[in-house]
Amino acid sequence: MFKKLTNPFIYVAGSKSLVLGLLTIFGTSIVAYFSKTYFPDIISVKMGVDLSILSSIAQNFINWFVVSILFHLMAMILSKSKIRMLDIFGTQALARFPYFFVSFINFSESLDLFGKYLLWTFMSYGEPIEITIIQKSIAVFLLFISLVFTIWMVMLMYNAFKVSANLKGTKLILSFIIVMIFSMVVLTYLSKILILNIN
Amino acid sequence: MNKKLPIICPSCSSGLKVKSLHCDSCETTITGQFNLPVLLRLEKTELDFVLDFIRCSGSLKIMASKLNLSYPTVRNMLDDLIYKIDKLEQDV
Repeated sequence: MFKKLTNPFIYVAGSKSLVLGLLTIFGTSIVAYFSKTYFPDIISVKMGVDLSILSSIAQNFINWFVVSILFHLMAMILSKSKIRMLDIFGTQALARFPYFFVSFINFSESLDLFGKYLLWTFMSYGEPIEITIIQKSIAVFLLFISLVFTIWMVMLMYNAFKVSANLKGTKLILSFIIVMIFSMVVLTYLSKILILNIN
Repeated sequence: MNKKLPIICPSCSSGLKVKSLHCDSCETTITGQFNLPVLLRLEKTELDFVLDFIRCSGSLKIMASKLNLSYPTVRNMLDDLIYKIDKLEQDV
């Protein structure tokens, strides 16, 4: 069971994972629009951001596309196997599955209240907020859950790259880190352009 | 009983060679020193994979659906096997 959760790509890849993954990304975008959750790059999550539904969909698809194309280029350079673009794009799409759950987290008012409470307490920004210990506990629990889901997603992305590119050892670890960093840099710029033009 | 062909020396872990071959029908025994063919130097699971691959007419897609694994997983298994066969051939 643990293997299926951390590396489902041993069993699912190609067109099946692409269809499931694209549906997941679309679903995540819709839920994120209503919960005001924003994914500015491949792993970052921002709560309480007002985006148009089109921006939300475009942002999530761009996040997947940029990281997939970079993984594909890296695999073409480093892998000795006959890799398929369909596997790279499909498995990376399905690897974004945990963020579907993360997009629900901001429906809780506790997180928003906790954010405002922290801003007022530590930076004297905004207005004084009254927050109960239960709301604080819920907010901390939700933050912890989103961290767990983020780790799960990175693990899935790593295993997706490992299976679809057939890389091992140092080559795999280094190339994965390089792509993650580079895609975050690229997506930071693309997100700004997207927000300016679509939102 | 289906006996497993030993390919590694239990004493020093080197690869074993064939020293004699015997005919049950006429009791002839040939003695010499013969290398094991590459396929016989594979592990049982690897040899099973090769046989399955042949039975699937060399189709990775059919192989993947038969083994309930994804296409890249089966392709990776085949690539690892190709690498191992190349290494075994170089070692001869």
